[in-house]
Amino acid sequence: MTAPLSYPFPWTPPMEIPDALRGLRDQAAVTVTLPSGDRALMVTRYADVRALFADHRLSRNISRRQRPDVARISADNELFADPEINPDPPDHIRVRGLVTRAFTARRVEALRPVAQGVCDELIAAMKAGTRPTDLNEAFAYPLPIRVICRLLGVPLEDRDRFRYLVDGFLSVTKLPVEEMQRCREGLWQYLGELIDSKREQPGDDLVSGLIKARDEDNNRLSEHELRFWTQGLLIAGYVTTASQIGASTAVLLHHRELVEEIQADWSLVPSAVEELLRTQIMGSSVGTLRYAVEDIPLSDGTVIAKGTSVLLSEESANMDEEVFPEPFRLDIRRTDNHHMTFGAGLHYCAGAALARMELQVATRSLLEQLPDLRLAVPGDRLPRGLGGFTEGFTEIPVTW
Amino acid sequence: MRVTADRDTCTVSSLCVYRAPEVFDQDEDGHVVVLRPDPPEHLHPAVRDAARSCPTRSIRITEEE
Repeated sequence: MTAPLSYPFPWTPPMEIPDALRGLRDQAAVTVTLPSGDRALMVTRYADVRALFADHRLSRNISRRQRPDVARISADNELFADPEINPDPPDHIRVRGLVTRAFTARRVEALRPVAQGVCDELIAAMKAGTRPTDLNEAFAYPLPIRVICRLLGVPLEDRDRFRYLVDGFLSVTKLPVEEMQRCREGLWQYLGELIDSKREQPGDDLVSGLIKARDEDNNRLSEHELRFWTQGLLIAGYVTTASQIGASTAVLLHHRELVEEIQADWSLVPSAVEELLRTQIMGSSVGTLRYAVEDIPLSDGTVIAKGTSVLLSEESANMDEEVFPEPFRLDIRRTDNHHMTFGAGLHYCAGAALARMELQVATRSLLEQLPDLRLAVPGDRLPRGLGGFTEGFTEIPVTW
Repeated sequence: MRVTADRDTCTVSSLCVYRAPEVFDQDEDGHVVVLRPDPPEHLHPAVRDAARSCPTRSIRITEEE
């Protein structure tokens, strides 16, 4: 028996796919130690990960108050679980349907010109400013927050306050517990105020739509669910996309030849975006934590015992040699790239289409409007934000 | 080729609409609608790709001999 691996895996050096992911799939599941010190069983192979994302024997209800023996990610699971919310069917299907209707292909495409306008504005400001500059601050974070604020109906003047609260909320080990708690309470209070103001003055936005659904039929959505899901959407639409835009761009700029390849053929943007999503997961898979309510056999005959806390490793599935030829190679022309970065099954990322659209617009806009864009420091010295839910680069100095 | 899709298990990823817009669409809530249950041959690769990408395996393809 070897000691369990610590998870999340460290991205050191920052431009290399973690060594821990090599050979990991020799076993269908490995035991890992979470930041809390608790252990969980991590599923490693694509076929198992994909199947288990859709398996009702794994519950997403990881509230410690309801399941006292579930593994803790950090000090508690309150970041990922709320005792008043049932994240399993049928409750989840009822609520999810209210949200996903805002993310149809048609509605996402209607936001493409909005995203393009924001990109143009941000790049113009970069050109007018000083060099080098931090790509995160100048571009990667402002873009998705403006798009999601538009979609949800959050006033732009609330952006800075909101961003501080969310950054604190998402800190797993970075901030002292009291500060994290203050941010969580602050965000919860802010959302109450936002909902109150939308109730008084509804707009053509997702939060107003959710309020309407709630006020028409109390059984469709409780007041608590309304706030909880608004919070989830704000966070999911902002930090994850921001971190991925930064990480994807940094990796591309580190490979100058790939930048030139794309600049010579813009039709490569979508497949490049997918490949960077596959290899550069900006987060870890701690958010996939589930709890086995029955015994579940895996592909190699191992059985996940009832009562086990389970992680579904998106990053390991994405490196599965059985599914992706030369998985450790960055291939921006890769076809059949059905990676697990957005999950699978009922809980597939509701905002995936929106994130893809933003990544495509961002990538093309940056490489087209700043053709000489490059990292201002060697790529292998870029700092990565470990200890948070997202593990993208904390700073990306660029010049052009 | 015959194409059917299960709206009850559809989770609104929109992937099929992006991969084969001639064959798949979405209703007001985002649930899958099959526009062409018997797509012409040149669309078959895109339809297979859409089916493979579906997160809930809600697209069924029956290949004719």
